[in-house]
Amino acid sequence: MKKILELIWIILVVLTVFAYLLGYLKLISTSLVAVLLLSTFIKGALVSDYFMGLKDVSIKYRMIPLLWLTVVLSLIAAAYYL
Amino acid sequence: MSRIMALKEKYPPGDFGVWIIIYVELLTFGLFFVGYAFSRRDNIEMFNTSQLMLNQTSGFINTFILITSSYFVAKGVHIMRKMTQENYEKSNKEASKWLKFAMACGVAFLFIKFSEFYHIFGQGITLSTNKFFMFYLLLTMFHFMHVFLGTIILFNIHQRTKVAGYTPADYRGFESGASYWHMVDLLWIVLFPLIYIIR
Repeated sequence: MKKILELIWIILVVLTVFAYLLGYLKLISTSLVAVLLLSTFIKGALVSDYFMGLKDVSIKYRMIPLLWLTVVLSLIAAAYYL
Repeated sequence: MSRIMALKEKYPPGDFGVWIIIYVELLTFGLFFVGYAFSRRDNIEMFNTSQLMLNQTSGFINTFILITSSYFVAKGVHIMRKMTQENYEKSNKEASKWLKFAMACGVAFLFIKFSEFYHIFGQGITLSTNKFFMFYLLLTMFHFMHVFLGTIILFNIHQRTKVAGYTPADYRGFESGASYWHMVDLLWIVLFPLIYIIR
């Protein structure tokens, strides 16, 4: 995968356009909030793993931003749904 | 499996000190994000009405800009990692080019965000207008300062690449600055849907 950074950038842009369109076209609904949070997790994980380069380091350091994303996005979901 | 483990680095890229800063920043912003989400529960209608006053398009453009700048910085780091003693001058020059693009993105982000603040303050909105705008202004202004600092850091790294200051034995400073910049991107990736989109 020589062009991995380019692929990651394309995925990030596509997910950002998806989030923007949900808001701009006023399509955001209760169920789509979960999808939006999931796409935010994917974007954050891609930045952490590939742009920050944490996929190539010891698992404990790799997990810190991923755990942060999981906890913060789960609490946001809890605040929205519960 | 053992080969994969052997290829893994023990520590994250850059100086460990910058990672302490990154973890503290993530924790601080994380508390603000969760605070916003739970405060919203108390007055959903007011949060949704106030959110309509934000410009989602400028939020989207700024997200695109930060993601793209992060890509440019990652390209620079990639060049640094492939650098050898024979081609280190050329590598510094190439990385310098990517940093210029990333800095341009940083300046564009700051300009767009400044325009947004100008518009918001022009409408008489302040920190005490309501809870939504308190969170919006605190979070985005705090983030704005991080982008400003990140752009200065990128500028300093760029100055060093111009004199071929990074070598295969020493490019940790480059990686540290890059890691800080990616953190700024990571924070905005959560901030954008939370403040601008979710309602």
